[in-house]
Amino acid sequence: MSWMDLLRMSGSNLKRRKLRTFLTVLGVVIGTTSIVVMISLGLGMQQSLYREVEQSGGLTSIRVTGESAGDSMYSESGSESEDTAKYIDDELIKTLGTLEHVEASYPVYEMSVILLKGGYEGYGFLKAMPYEGLMEEKIPLAEGGKLPAESSSLELVYGNAVITDFQEKGGGESYWETGVLPNIDLAKDSLFLILDQDGYYNSQSGDMDMGSDYSAENDGESQPVKQVKKHVVKASGIVEGAPDDYNAHSSYIYCNLDTLVPILKKEFSGRVIPGQPTTSSGKAYKDFYYSSAQVKVDDIDQVNEVADSIRQMGYSVETNAEYLQSMQKEFAMIEAVLGGIGAVSLFVAAIGIANTMMMSIYERTKEIGVIKVLGCSLKNIKQMFLMEAAFIGLIGGVIGNIFSFFVSAVINAITGHGAAMGFDGDISYIPIWLVLVSLGIAMLVGIMAGYFPAKRAMQLSPLAAIRTE
Amino acid sequence: MEKVIQVRNLYKLYRVGEEIVRALDGVDFDIFRGEFCAIVGTSGSGKSTLLNMLAGLEKPTKGNVVIAGEHIEKMNEEQLVKFRRENVGFIFQSFHLLGTMNAVENVALPLSFRKVPRNVRIRKAERMLDLVNLRKHKKHFPNQMSGGQQQRVGVARALVVNPKIIFADEPTGNLDSHTSEEVMQLMKRVVKEQNKTLVMVTHDAHLATYADRVFHISDGKILKIENNQKERTRQNEEQE
Repeated sequence: MSWMDLLRMSGSNLKRRKLRTFLTVLGVVIGTTSIVVMISLGLGMQQSLYREVEQSGGLTSIRVTGESAGDSMYSESGSESEDTAKYIDDELIKTLGTLEHVEASYPVYEMSVILLKGGYEGYGFLKAMPYEGLMEEKIPLAEGGKLPAESSSLELVYGNAVITDFQEKGGGESYWETGVLPNIDLAKDSLFLILDQDGYYNSQSGDMDMGSDYSAENDGESQPVKQVKKHVVKASGIVEGAPDDYNAHSSYIYCNLDTLVPILKKEFSGRVIPGQPTTSSGKAYKDFYYSSAQVKVDDIDQVNEVADSIRQMGYSVETNAEYLQSMQKEFAMIEAVLGGIGAVSLFVAAIGIANTMMMSIYERTKEIGVIKVLGCSLKNIKQMFLMEAAFIGLIGGVIGNIFSFFVSAVINAITGHGAAMGFDGDISYIPIWLVLVSLGIAMLVGIMAGYFPAKRAMQLSPLAAIRTE
Repeated sequence: MEKVIQVRNLYKLYRVGEEIVRALDGVDFDIFRGEFCAIVGTSGSGKSTLLNMLAGLEKPTKGNVVIAGEHIEKMNEEQLVKFRRENVGFIFQSFHLLGTMNAVENVALPLSFRKVPRNVRIRKAERMLDLVNLRKHKKHFPNQMSGGQQQRVGVARALVVNPKIIFADEPTGNLDSHTSEEVMQLMKRVVKEQNKTLVMVTHDAHLATYADRVFHISDGKILKIENNQKERTRQNEEQE
């Protein structure tokens, strides 16, 4: 029999028992859907990780940290051994730049700042980098924005979620509680930027005892609380996205490091710039130290080598590649577990297929006998039943996949495209390969479930088949 | 004359509980090309067993069955299926048409096992249905046809593959006597026209008179072989 004839016969047999076919297919639909949706959750997480890595410099960038300088968002274990302390300074940046396979290296300085506008105040996290460093960050700016070039006045790039950090002075409710955005247009309005947080607190708390303590710590002489310097800043750009959208840049404020450093030095002349290390006697060092250094490697295969050589210089090194590798293992586990849960229902569906096929063979004993007597080869009979089972699997797989896309869309809509879970992007993600693989699996399950029934049909004696009256 | 079927010393033993039943007890005969033979016997006489063995549906305990020059008692199931596909047409007592297919498709079915292209086999099937006077029922499904019509579709299905031999197992067993006569006459006519060998099993001695030769079988043994053809020619001669 030709394949077309086999297809036609299998198809007409399935059509003959529509309800039973439908129910069996339904089992496969549920099985496929559960597998695809479960795995899509794992893939969604993985996808957002990839995007995060992409946004933080891709796989060729290395983050070098020494002793903590600046207020890092990451809590680093700063072992305070003064003599051997490894700080990131200009010299190191230069040294890193001369290493083999290093394309570029630039410093990063991170610190907490306060922004003021009208009756609102906002606590933000400032990330300062030289212009080329900002370029490498690949920050997606909303229309009309540009990265701040080196100049005498500070210009900021606000993350799209920074606006939600503002609240009314004196402990007003935040956006997350009220759902009302502060009446500030970050793109157009000029804001006051306060770099000296301690000073600001002191001026706020007036003559509280703590105030004098802080100032004493700052430069050793007890001077009266003075007005903190407020820098007028304008936005040069805003990160693309709504306030609720999450991405790697959404909660940062960016500025040009080359602009920031002179300003810091000027404001804190004679004092310790917040976050800068001090000598044992509480004095500032001569040099300015950075929070970390970003190193760009020219070839993805050289990343580990470069990372090792920097490590030997006594610095802590983080590469996205290492991070990714460890996370990938974790995600593979998560996907296997989720897929396994889904596979249980597909297994149940397989039993359903096997049962349907067995029933079908008992019903068609006579028919099978007749076509055997008429000269239908044993192979064709087996193929016919296998094809029926495969059909059930395939149809179930196709409908299951369509259904999965629907379920996935619903999940994404409910979770606000991942924002509610702190994800960048959709929580459920179905790539093409998952569709194809799940179709293949559904069909394979059908064939496997149909194998023994088909073999049984093949072995039916034609004589017994005819005798059945 | 060419021997299409040669049966030599054929035995078939069944074990029923403690007893051994001899369904066939040493049968020998030859059937020639173009002959219409009837195997007649009461139920339990071994006639159906004999037909099953000729068609390769059952294996003999002992003896040879040579059909179209091939020893079918030595074949395995796959070879038997192939042998039937290429040499044998089969007419069943209860028609056994496939309910999902209309008349044309049912007739064309055995051709599909031979990988005949669809348009060719539909054309052949239609020609066969014309031959059995079912011109108007080509698109009818089995449940839309009478028993006689269904059996005529069955005859067309047996003939369409152009087989060397056609086996018929009580072909009129499920039909009333009037329809039986019709179907028998049709079978006789078609077989003569196409010069086919037809082996029919029946318990009805009257229907057996349509055959050229009649094998009377009882308790697994052939009692006598009537030759109607000679009688007919003799009758014809006497009339002249």
